[in-house]
Amino acid sequence: MAMRTPLALAAAILAVGALLSFVLPEYHLRLMNLSVISAIAVIGLNFAFGYAGLISLGHAAFVGMGAYGVAILTTRYGWSPWLAMPMAIAATAVLAAVIGFPLLRLKGHYLALATLGLNVSFYIVASNWISLTGGTNGIARIPELHIAGQALPGERQFLWLGLVVLAVAAMVASILHASRYGRAMIAVRDDETAARMTGVDTTVVKISAFVLSAIYAAIAGCLFACHTRFVAPEDFTYAHSITYLAMLIVGGESSIVGAIFGSVLLTFLPEWLRFLGSAYLVFFGVLVLAILVFLPTGIVGLGRLARRPPRRPAAPAPVRVPEVGS
Amino acid sequence: MADFIQLLVSGLAIGSVYALAAIGFVIVYSATGVVNFAAGQFVMVGTFAGVAMLVDAQLPAPLAYSAALAVMALFGALFFLVVYLPLRKSSVVTIIIGTVAIGITMQNAALLTFGSWPFRLPSPVEGRTLALGGAIISTHALGVVGVTAIMVAGLWLLFNKTTVGVGMRAVAQDIQAARLMGLKVNRLLALSWILAALLAGVAGLMLGPMWFADVSMGDPIALKAFAATIIGGFGSLPGAIVGGLFVGLSEVLGASYISSAYKDLISFGIMIVFLLVRPQGVFGEKIQDRG
Repeated sequence: MAMRTPLALAAAILAVGALLSFVLPEYHLRLMNLSVISAIAVIGLNFAFGYAGLISLGHAAFVGMGAYGVAILTTRYGWSPWLAMPMAIAATAVLAAVIGFPLLRLKGHYLALATLGLNVSFYIVASNWISLTGGTNGIARIPELHIAGQALPGERQFLWLGLVVLAVAAMVASILHASRYGRAMIAVRDDETAARMTGVDTTVVKISAFVLSAIYAAIAGCLFACHTRFVAPEDFTYAHSITYLAMLIVGGESSIVGAIFGSVLLTFLPEWLRFLGSAYLVFFGVLVLAILVFLPTGIVGLGRLARRPPRRPAAPAPVRVPEVGS
Repeated sequence: MADFIQLLVSGLAIGSVYALAAIGFVIVYSATGVVNFAAGQFVMVGTFAGVAMLVDAQLPAPLAYSAALAVMALFGALFFLVVYLPLRKSSVVTIIIGTVAIGITMQNAALLTFGSWPFRLPSPVEGRTLALGGAIISTHALGVVGVTAIMVAGLWLLFNKTTVGVGMRAVAQDIQAARLMGLKVNRLLALSWILAALLAGVAGLMLGPMWFADVSMGDPIALKAFAATIIGGFGSLPGAIVGGLFVGLSEVLGASYISSAYKDLISFGIMIVFLLVRPQGVFGEKIQDRG
């Protein structure tokens, strides 16, 4: 296994992304940027949900913490975005650990509703703590990113930056997945009692998976704040958390490639449905439901189905070992 | 004191609506194990069924309410066929996302049909008030509490005194055993969805005159119903009632005595505290990790 798969994954992301960055029109480049940002968040969510099996409906709150961190540090305190980003990510990680410690004792839909409550609380606080967050008006005029003294002039250049971050994020995720830490997470998901019996500290594993997912979310949030250069509570509602989860499931649960495909598909799908006029969201919901029903293993499952003769999937979540990283 | 009585009654009225939505959610969850994230949209559909019959079609009130509830029963059956049956074997998360997705469809279908302009749904006791201990109380609010009490009594009779209701409880308890006993499991499951839709319909018809009928009203109601079920106890009917009333009261009293901006944080804060300290809620199931 070693480094081959992670490096191939990063190379593929950069190659396909760079190619697309030259052929797509400006408006689609903007959507590509949003897809890349979502993909980073969803790869993070994959640690918590895909590997460790923790249902989180509060992922958007961590994206929001990263984004607000950058927005507040740059606009209120005049920090450089490059300095504000690591600070915002670190702060989000600490918050995730503090929140995760009590919350992760819950399982299944209890955890789902607790994280949902967390996201709703984040929204209420972000909309009402006006002196810090600007309330529902949000925070505007976040400074643009400069690389080597040059401001990133457009969507295309931002996309290159985003692709590099995504490639590194996917590579790190792939390395972690193949490592003993990744296997420990999957063991906790498949059978917590058995994992504990084999000497896995399940509490530590669950909290690390949760914190790792929050770090990825915060990175996505930082990029979002620098890309849009405006943050408001509306961008980080629990509906966004559910969208991230939907991206992961539609792409293919516990697959990094699936996370990327799902993010791109669900970001572009509403655009492709625009020809339906004002009814497009009606069809969007039906389409997502259809994907869940007819493609239970997601887009990635479609590829596997094509390669292998169909066989009956085992009823409980099957143990998937390294090939998932491919 | 007069203020307090007024707030108390309107808190109980809003709480009754949350309680009905939460009961519908719990009935579906106990029977089918589905965590229905479209529960709030069910209430929205109920309100707009009322708008269609009372405002658009101008039917006389008794006919309009019956027609709206008939629409809701059909809607529950349709949801059973189109959403529940295809998803019934899926994981918790897939079902959550599936019901959210179909909730988006419902909300936007309502937007296409009724537009984004809010409607005013009239009440049969429109504009009437009662004087009680120096306070002026809207008859509608009292009526809401009364209707909810009758519904709850009806549900108790249904689940304890009728064959169908006992069958529904049997299915909720152990679907395999129920099937082996010769119960028509699918029919009873469909009935749970229809019952949930009817309760949401009643909730929507009563909520319409208190709020404005707005196509985006579903999500806030769903969140309150979730908070109510957690506080009362997941899967417990008395819990859903107590939780719903509690959330309604904390919202109305919290808004006027503590902070109107943070009124919703009170119920969600209490919900999170309950999850951490007593996840089974006031009346709920003992097992922490069911589902």
